[in-house]
Amino acid sequence: MRRRLAFTLRGKDPLYAFGVAFLTLLLVFATFGPIIRNAMVRPAKEANFYSVYDPVSRPHEAVGGKYVLGTDEQGRDVVSRLAAGARISLTVGFLVEVIALTVGVTVGVLGVFAPRWLSMILMRFTDGMFAFPDILLAVLIIGTMPPGKLDRFPLGKLLPVIIALSITSWPSIARLVKGQVATLKDREFVVGAKASGASTFYLVTRHILPQLTGILLAVSMIDIAGTILAESTLSFLGIGVQAPEPSWGSMINSAREGMGSYPEALIWPCLILSLTVIALNFVGDGLRAAFDPKSK
Amino acid sequence: MRLVKAILLRLLFGAFSLFFISFVTFVAGEFAPGDPATIIGGEKASLETVRLIRHNLGLDQPWPSRYVRYVDHAVHGDFGVSYYGIHEPVRDIIARTLPMTVKLATLAMLLAASFGIFFGALAAVYQRRFLDKSILTISTLGVTTPNFVLGPILVYVFCQRLDQLPNSWSTTLVAPEIVYFILPVAILSARPAALITRLTRASMIDTLDQEFIRTAVAKGVPRGRLLFRHALRNAILPVITTIGTSFGFLLTGSFVIERYFLMPGLGSAVIEGIQQINMPVVQAGVLVTGAMFIFLNLVVDILLPILDPRIRESQI
Repeated sequence: MRRRLAFTLRGKDPLYAFGVAFLTLLLVFATFGPIIRNAMVRPAKEANFYSVYDPVSRPHEAVGGKYVLGTDEQGRDVVSRLAAGARISLTVGFLVEVIALTVGVTVGVLGVFAPRWLSMILMRFTDGMFAFPDILLAVLIIGTMPPGKLDRFPLGKLLPVIIALSITSWPSIARLVKGQVATLKDREFVVGAKASGASTFYLVTRHILPQLTGILLAVSMIDIAGTILAESTLSFLGIGVQAPEPSWGSMINSAREGMGSYPEALIWPCLILSLTVIALNFVGDGLRAAFDPKSK
Repeated sequence: MRLVKAILLRLLFGAFSLFFISFVTFVAGEFAPGDPATIIGGEKASLETVRLIRHNLGLDQPWPSRYVRYVDHAVHGDFGVSYYGIHEPVRDIIARTLPMTVKLATLAMLLAASFGIFFGALAAVYQRRFLDKSILTISTLGVTTPNFVLGPILVYVFCQRLDQLPNSWSTTLVAPEIVYFILPVAILSARPAALITRLTRASMIDTLDQEFIRTAVAKGVPRGRLLFRHALRNAILPVITTIGTSFGFLLTGSFVIERYFLMPGLGSAVIEGIQQINMPVVQAGVLVTGAMFIFLNLVVDILLPILDPRIRESQI
């Protein structure tokens, strides 16, 4: 399995290579972009200046000038805001996926190994979650958390979105894990381990879950793409990440309002969002192909 | 007998889903900020008035009876009153805004289905040729491009560059209403159209590979009849399921589109409800949309075994 992955990494799959390269660059851009950019554009006198929130120049400076991608409708540096938006998208995507994986794997495994009454409740609950179109449930959850209420917690401004999207994204993982665990449970190597006296906990953690890492990694990439898209959608609608935090979705929304005179402002957030989503899908597909030779 | 059993099981699952969705919206209402009685009473209401309103709303009851009351009212079309403005009944808000959302979603679904089935079948027939590859590439783009990225592009081209279509809804319609629907419907249908194209293609390729098609070819069935009567009718079944699930995404997708084109639909009402912390509108919007989604999937699930005897056999 490892050899096959290395094989893919060496560039046999150009789409996967593109995805990995783009995501690496994006990660660097998100981590260091806001700091470096702030140091570059900060006026000498102002100490508390932060280019993500504070105007550096006149509104709507042209692309290609002093500020590379110009400035937005409030005169803020577009590069800084794109980098800070990348931070938000990746943070939300990653945290939501960690929570969704934890809950999804636990529920999926319990759905197979727990006593019947518990697995019944858990799996019916999972099925019920599928009755909701995702964004609809997220909208409802956000409705119960008005802006400002959670600000005192770390990541406060992102918290409503993270909570809402975590709740909507675990059921699909739970369903996948349950299906996989149910088939793995009857395979010879698991039955063999059980016969030699392994406990259920040992069976699950040492024999069954390691088999699932590949497929879960692949699915995670595609799920993160979905989460980033959902976060942008909510922010675009004005109920996700709140201003002045620069989510790509809210940047697209404010660029749309000024579209009559400055249509080019729409290009950058749309482009970086689309490329991120596509790159994550490429990486997910590449991983799936590497871990599961039978899939097409 | 099997068919009846399968349908009954579906109905049971639909009922369970409805219960679940109503319970979740009820719980969301419980967690929502603000006390309804205080908000409805207004700033100047005396404690006595607030207590009376609370009693009339049943808020002094324990939660199970509040839930029963909530469902009972919802079934009779009573979703409470809006917290703001003239305290308009939420039922009226839904009745005013829902038709536009349903119209948007239905038109988009029709467009997506006809477009997707046509091009999917075309791609399958010309498999691995240039036409197939171009259709596949475009549909991959269609699946990955979000609505609110495609939106600005189309609006820029058709409204600003070519100046042919209106870029937002207006209360004083200067053109026939359908003109205002062209762009929203086109944008909304892009993703399901791409999904249906890919699915039809895959399903059609599978079908064309099967033996009864080879028999039909050997028998000398004319090509058109072969493709439409023999292959497409068999290939279309999984597509019908997708149409059911896609409709849910269209309903929620229209939230974005309505917002984008400033159309006064249910989506706009719900988003406004969230921003004003007007929970009854949000609850009712989610409940109604969710119920429609469940109902539609139920219809598809019941329709499938009726349309295809093979599914009848394989189920339970």
